[in-house]
Amino acid sequence: MVDEEEIIRVAELMKIDLEEHGEHVSRVKKMLEYFDILDQIDLSSEEITAQQKLLNELRKDEFIPNDKKLIESLKNFREHYVRAPKMN
Amino acid sequence: MNLNTSILKYIEDVKSGIFTVEEFTAETLQRIKDVDGDVHAYLSLNDSVLNDAKLIDQKIASGEKIGQCYGFPISIKDNICITGTKTTCASKILENFIAPYTATVINRLQNEDAVITGKTNLDEFAMGLTTEFSAFGPTKNPWNLDYVPGGSSGGSAASVAANECLASLGSDTGGSVRNPASFCSVVGLKPTYGLISRYGLISYANSIEQIGPMTKTVKDSAFLLNVIAGQDANDDTTINNDNVNYLEDIEDGIEGKKIGIIKEMTTSDGLSSEVSTATKDAIGDFESLGASCEEVTLPTIPYTVAAYYTITSTEAGSNLARYDNIRYGYELESEGYEYNSYISKSRAKFGPEVTRRIILGGFVPSAGHAGKYFLKALKVKSKLISEINKAFEKFDYLISPTAPVQPFKFGEKIDDPVTLMLLDYNTVTANLTGKPAISVPYRVINGLPIGMQIMANSLNEKLLFQSAYALESKTNLPEVPL
Amino acid sequence: MTKIGLEIHCQLTKLESKLFCSCKANYREFEPNHNICPVCMGLPGSLPRLNQKAVESATSIALALTCDTPEKIAFFRKNYFYPDLPKNFQITQLNVYGDMSVGGEGYVSVEDKKIKIRRIQLEEDPGRIIYEGASERTKITLVDYNRAGTPLVEIVTDPDFESPRQVRVFLNILSDLLENLGVAEPGLEGAMRADGNVSIEGGNKVEIKNIGSFHDLEKALHFEITRQQSLFERDIEIAQETRHWDDRRKITVSSRSKEEDQDYRYFLENDIPWVKIDQSTRDRLKENMPESISSKKERYIEKFDIAPQVADIIASDRYYSKLFENAYSDNNAKDIANLITTDVIGFIDTKEKQQNSKITSKHLSDLVDAINSKTITRNSAKVALQEIVKSGKDTKFVLDEMDLGQVSDSSEIDTIISKIFEDEKQAVIDAKERPETVNFLVGKVMQKTKGKADPAKTLELIKSKLNQ
Ligand SMILES: [Zn+2]
Repeated sequence: MVDEEEIIRVAELMKIDLEEHGEHVSRVKKMLEYFDILDQIDLSSEEITAQQKLLNELRKDEFIPNDKKLIESLKNFREHYVRAPKMN
Repeated sequence: MNLNTSILKYIEDVKSGIFTVEEFTAETLQRIKDVDGDVHAYLSLNDSVLNDAKLIDQKIASGEKIGQCYGFPISIKDNICITGTKTTCASKILENFIAPYTATVINRLQNEDAVITGKTNLDEFAMGLTTEFSAFGPTKNPWNLDYVPGGSSGGSAASVAANECLASLGSDTGGSVRNPASFCSVVGLKPTYGLISRYGLISYANSIEQIGPMTKTVKDSAFLLNVIAGQDANDDTTINNDNVNYLEDIEDGIEGKKIGIIKEMTTSDGLSSEVSTATKDAIGDFESLGASCEEVTLPTIPYTVAAYYTITSTEAGSNLARYDNIRYGYELESEGYEYNSYISKSRAKFGPEVTRRIILGGFVPSAGHAGKYFLKALKVKSKLISEINKAFEKFDYLISPTAPVQPFKFGEKIDDPVTLMLLDYNTVTANLTGKPAISVPYRVINGLPIGMQIMANSLNEKLLFQSAYALESKTNLPEVPL
Repeated sequence: MTKIGLEIHCQLTKLESKLFCSCKANYREFEPNHNICPVCMGLPGSLPRLNQKAVESATSIALALTCDTPEKIAFFRKNYFYPDLPKNFQITQLNVYGDMSVGGEGYVSVEDKKIKIRRIQLEEDPGRIIYEGASERTKITLVDYNRAGTPLVEIVTDPDFESPRQVRVFLNILSDLLENLGVAEPGLEGAMRADGNVSIEGGNKVEIKNIGSFHDLEKALHFEITRQQSLFERDIEIAQETRHWDDRRKITVSSRSKEEDQDYRYFLENDIPWVKIDQSTRDRLKENMPESISSKKERYIEKFDIAPQVADIIASDRYYSKLFENAYSDNNAKDIANLITTDVIGFIDTKEKQQNSKITSKHLSDLVDAINSKTITRNSAKVALQEIVKSGKDTKFVLDEMDLGQVSDSSEIDTIISKIFEDEKQAVIDAKERPETVNFLVGKVMQKTKGKADPAKTLELIKSKLNQ
């Protein structure tokens, strides 16, 4: 059983304010309950894999300056610094 | 001038001077003005589209070297970046985001002289199957405006179906190209993972998604893939395709080929009787083309939708973390806010489906739950890959209907999350396994389209197009009533 | 018993570009936010492109520290929100699907103790918060992203250290090793940082973070050990927690942040395929690796019969050892080594002087040749060295210009000796009675000739004159 309290706690960690999205909890819960189907399949012999590449296929170590104006196309900057809200 | 034409026919006509690029573009623009108020395929238009067309006419007139696209008009899903233009992902959080760089696929199109008409609608951040989750209103199905066009590349599919362009680029994470292609009666390809560069495609679930062409014909799909496919230094996940020409031998047919009919996708509870009947007809057509068809079972399929949503929400939760409205985003003065409350306040702009997937994405891979959800999902993926590879030892193709149902009315399914998820039942397998899959328009029943899905083994797009072309040649579909 | 473990972060400052993009790895020379691109700013749609040389450098470090190196490496995302983190996740390495970080277990000997390296991982540095608005009056935080994406190697040890002094010895060994490998400049501000964890007998483990330099690390460790001991003596439980080093007050303070509650949701970074590093690649890296300091020292002692103290000095300094390696031939190695440790070091004893010095290996071999062929005296060599370090002029030119050629012509020396015998009558008498005082007379000759007289010849001539 999925605990609704926990969904709310996770939402907070994900910086999602549920005060404006309260109705989502039950819907997320329904989706999670559907995922229980994953308990019914035997996966004991499966391993996790991924795409692979050779070392020499990687990017070469070269400095290529980027367009200096990138910072100006962003918002919230002042005297070259990006402004963020104060930390607690 | 007939706007309901293929790219290949268009190029012939421009070459032989039947019309100029500018004339065709102007006519297309007029069509957009006439119908897009109803269809709402586009989120924004390219202001300089006529000028872009004119420049290509000048190139042609001066005998300068001309790219192979000859200025055909193409629309782009609004989650692909073009320098200096808005790229919104149909989200309020990126409503004013101007991309400072251009996606590789766009560079390749422009180098070959394609003309971009504008950016098309989608479910917010490509999460959805109907475009109802677009923050800027849904796209309507050109076949019947009361019905959904499919999604998430619904705007792209509708723009092609409604003759508001000749082709479009969509993106496919779990069926987002093929599903709307099926619903709008256009050809939609999800290529092998890594065949097309994702550089400049705004990530939703990066481990399984691909950009894909959406076109009126199978040959156009092959033509467009020729232009945009291939390794890219800006995307480490792209793979070498040896510059295959996908148009070559496309008419070779499928005589003697072996086709597996995926049992789980043709007998599921959710399958409508119309789709079921159409599938049987398609099997008959494949056999009449000289292929042998046989049922095949992939027992892991019933678990794929859960695995798919677990993996995609995990990746989405991480990929969308960057939208904290600090470095870019919309106007919200940071002064006076504390960091956490500022971010939460900013992220309240995410729409409902994105919000839910982000919460899921925080839940399923968390330390306490990864064992139950996320790691299992990855193993389902591994198991499915083994199964499908085994199937491809025996079969050249695996087929199923693209979607278990025909287009439905707005609002019909949006309130039931599980029903919505199951609409992906036939399409997610290609994404989880990285295999190429194509949706081919096959029937129009009760005025609503049905598409057939064909899958092939990795990097076998050429073989895939041969079967798709063969099936297409067996159909005789009506024109869109718009 | 005190147990200390370390987490060391070392920037790969010798690389040209960042870990996942082509911006400059050395961010220090730029104006704020002028060393950024769509990739390191985490703009929507950008993708990381792994730097081959960064993987090679990190693997070299792992090999040099005798760590296991896996066949395949993988990258993971560490998810958390922070203003200095453009994507709000950090790309790093983990070993959850088997050993998949650049380095596994290895050992470093510190005096008689073996310190276990637990793992080595390659990861990206975040940006820098220049100004943190923490108080009521300050309303915003300012961030510079120039550093974001700089290649960083994290080295994690077991809690095998028993004292802050051992930690210092280890860090010196490690700094020398990294510098010798040519992958890092530990002296550069912020290029090498370390966090520590401390526990005393019967107490919980306490992590200490936010330590700016190795110097502060030692202070922080001392402070923390004393703090824990005093708690223990008063029977107060030592809480398992993370503490921050307060640089201003020079104390550790309990962190307000709920670091323990963080769930980083680690999972594979699929934008970067797993990288295969085969045996031949590892062999190549090993082959190209500069010789370690200890094996260099061994070689100097065994092959050239150089005194251990001398070999130690030259082997452990990259500047001296480079001078030496390029100067010696089989028959003058020992002389060159001695010239470096007795004279060169006197003129070039700081990093800054090393940078400004104009001396080359050719100067050294020329000088030793001149001494051995008795063209100049040892003393003149020293005088010449001082000038060469400053000007870098050719050795022969300096010797001529300063008139340092040795006087070995007997009649010339004889004339000088005769004059000294007249001036120093008493010394001549003394020398006749007590031969051991003859050096005084030799010294006078040297003084007169400004050290240019051949000392052996001078002694011979004086002795024969005394016997007349
Ligand atoms: Zn960069």
